[in-house]
Amino acid sequence: MSEAAIDINAIERELRQMWQEQATHPDAGGQAVIRALTLNLIVRAPDDGWAEQALAVAPALTAQHPNRTVIVIDRPGPATELQANAQALCTLANAGRTQVCGEQVTISARGAPAGQLASLVLPLLVPDLPVVLWAPGPQPFAQPLVQRLYRLCDRLIVDSTTFADPLRELAELAAFEQTANGAPAVSDLGWTRLTSWRELTAQFFDTRPFLPHLHRIDEIVIEYAAGNRPNPVAALLFVGWLASCLKWTPLEDAVGIEGETIQIYLRRPAVGVGPAAIRLVSVAIRPVDRAGVEGLARLALRAVDNQQAEFVVELTSDAGHACTRATIAGAHPIERTATIDRPALADLLNSELRLLSRDRTFAAALHLAGGLARRLALP
Amino acid sequence: MATPVLDNPLRAGLRIGRTPEPCTMVIFGASGDLTSRKLVPALYNLARERRLPGGFSVVGFARRDWSDDYFRDLLREAVNANSRSGPVDPELWASFAQGIQYHRGSFDEADAYTSLAERLAAIDAERGTGGNRVFYLATPPDAYPTIVAQLGAHGLAHSNGWTRIIIEKPFGHDLASAQALNAEVLSVFREDQVYRIDHYLGKETVQNILIFRFANGIFEPIWNRSHIDHVQITVAETIGVEDRGGYYDTSGALRDMIQNHLMQLLCLVAMEPPSLYDADAVRDEKVKVLRAVRPLSVNDTVRGQYGPGSANGLPVRGYREEKGVSPASQTETYVALKLFIDNWRWAGVPFYLRSGKRLPRRVSEIAIQFKAAPTMIFADTPLNDLDPNVLAIKIQPDEGISLKFSSKTPGQPQIRPVTMDFRYGASFGVTSPEAYERLLLDCMLGDGTLFTRRDEVETSWALLTPILQAWAEGPPQPFPNYEAGSWGPAAADEFIARDGRSWRRL
Repeated sequence: MSEAAIDINAIERELRQMWQEQATHPDAGGQAVIRALTLNLIVRAPDDGWAEQALAVAPALTAQHPNRTVIVIDRPGPATELQANAQALCTLANAGRTQVCGEQVTISARGAPAGQLASLVLPLLVPDLPVVLWAPGPQPFAQPLVQRLYRLCDRLIVDSTTFADPLRELAELAAFEQTANGAPAVSDLGWTRLTSWRELTAQFFDTRPFLPHLHRIDEIVIEYAAGNRPNPVAALLFVGWLASCLKWTPLEDAVGIEGETIQIYLRRPAVGVGPAAIRLVSVAIRPVDRAGVEGLARLALRAVDNQQAEFVVELTSDAGHACTRATIAGAHPIERTATIDRPALADLLNSELRLLSRDRTFAAALHLAGGLARRLALP
Repeated sequence: MATPVLDNPLRAGLRIGRTPEPCTMVIFGASGDLTSRKLVPALYNLARERRLPGGFSVVGFARRDWSDDYFRDLLREAVNANSRSGPVDPELWASFAQGIQYHRGSFDEADAYTSLAERLAAIDAERGTGGNRVFYLATPPDAYPTIVAQLGAHGLAHSNGWTRIIIEKPFGHDLASAQALNAEVLSVFREDQVYRIDHYLGKETVQNILIFRFANGIFEPIWNRSHIDHVQITVAETIGVEDRGGYYDTSGALRDMIQNHLMQLLCLVAMEPPSLYDADAVRDEKVKVLRAVRPLSVNDTVRGQYGPGSANGLPVRGYREEKGVSPASQTETYVALKLFIDNWRWAGVPFYLRSGKRLPRRVSEIAIQFKAAPTMIFADTPLNDLDPNVLAIKIQPDEGISLKFSSKTPGQPQIRPVTMDFRYGASFGVTSPEAYERLLLDCMLGDGTLFTRRDEVETSWALLTPILQAWAEGPPQPFPNYEAGSWGPAAADEFIARDGRSWRRL
């Protein structure tokens, strides 16, 4: 197709017409329709599969964050090919309730230069609304379209669970986040998946008598489910989170891989001795075989000297719940079963879209995890 | 001695709030309706959303001879029937139910409290609850003084952790009884241990009144006598007295609704900005509103009682024919009143409050009616035909906020009112938590902002008690004076029409 094939005004006209039709011919249910837009979402889909996933999550996103979605299918290819179409997307509402609708525009391209794609995307953005760019798949930072658009965005969302070379790409993500410094804010859906694990871990220490043990942790063991391509990014981010919250610093050169286990040593402030005293925290991250599970499977925090304490969060055998267990100095363990979210893609995105600014907790965790990953990825 | 509060360093940046410390909630009146319909479903949903710590325990205290297992089964059925999240998740329930026990005893039996103290100590040791306790009085109000006195006598009002007590409405039936109850409760507990619950304050939209007013810059400058003509607060119910006839006949709409729910709404809509969002700062401002209310006169009130009529297309009984109600009852099931707040912000602005049973729709809303445009420049459109701007804060059932303004009709030289609508359901695709979930959690976290303080309760009763007295001493009313399923007595319409205004059609 020629370069003039897509007329932006025609797309806008088409969308306007759809709303007018909705207003004059309410559908059979007799429902009122309202157009509500709270943000622009640009999806850079590396292939048709991702474009389909983006289309599939759109209804759930519209329900919580009505938006104008512009999906760009950015396939490589020798011949340039470009097509666009628009549709309004309404959430299903109970009869009598108002339907909320968002808008979708799909641009299907093959081998198109990034500049050309960007020139189509930019005029389609609704003014004065936040712009979010979601770039799923491996190597997001190497994509020319992402490089061209990210500066215009308020938030860039990637997914570390889809990285092809997890350690190297985690280090890149950390470097990017630091340079961007909140413009755009960066989100990683791999981090979002850790939310329940972080909550369950933090909750142990809302109990005042347990809190002192948090400052005396000596050992951490994290097990993550690995298929044929082990991806330890979630576990590293978790360690980064604990370390940044508790002011632990990685010990230079004490990072290594033994077999499949990643071994890390961190310095922590010692409790109860002189201010300059330090102690070491040893962290072991290892893959386990858990069919049907993604991400973390079990984690244990232990304090071994003086009073022994152990805090464990693990998936139950059916992986539907998590069991938390606190054991202090051999006393009767305090256990409970809790729900653990295995969030769908739409839930993850919704949760990130709710954030308006840089997630500083994530930035600090990522910075630390990125440093560890860089050392682990060294040949 | 105050223990230094240590912060959990892992809390920063987590997207849900704190979880309370492990504690035991003792529910007095555990065999009652409130426990199974509201309290335990709310606790289960909190557990389900990971808002309760491991070790959290419940002890149900009641007279019936039940076993722990029977009580657990009963509660499981209750959650299945009443929880907003549907039937229980079996594994989660099993873990939650481990912390549930039943304690048999009558409220005035000293031995039952001795054994309760032992049981609580055993739970502290086994489940790590560290002496933290919430006592929930879900009993008929006449049992409150007995329970409070017994708790005090058995040393249960203080422990090595924290101890709090939640008291359900009604908190007294007039000023004297509210003061007496406060005195009894406060002879055993400190005020900061006492959580008087008004579930209206736990509703998300009620909390949103403060957010709406004080997190937006554009409304506060016009939120005063210069721009507001009057305010209407309506809480309408479609139900009658159901099976509460015996109780209701001694109470009435003024005590049952106005004294608590409507006065709370009044405070939130009329209060000055608090210096910070903190339990005492917020409640100080609310009390200042109540103190500024001009003493009410009987002439500023209208009473009603429903007669036979219909609801949802079916014939229904009149109030005097309800079970437990005297056939010559003089109890009001409808109240409308007008009050003024004599301060700089509100001087001269009337607030109209109305609440009733067996009205056509269940609806609660606050409507702020602004003054009309000063002159009419559009020919052919007489000024009195224009609708004034109305900002309506809808509390239930369709939670949201709408603003009515005038707009030109396309193609015609006419002006029509249109509304700009914000609806919770449409803008946030998540279901709001039940009021009790929020309030129980706040109590466990020690946040009293959404609970009623002693002076609030007493000031509100001080305002309304003279009306109750005047009604009791005045001549009998020609009740019933409105048909079930209508918008209240004709006198209420005449009452507001005398001021040149009318009730909102809801």
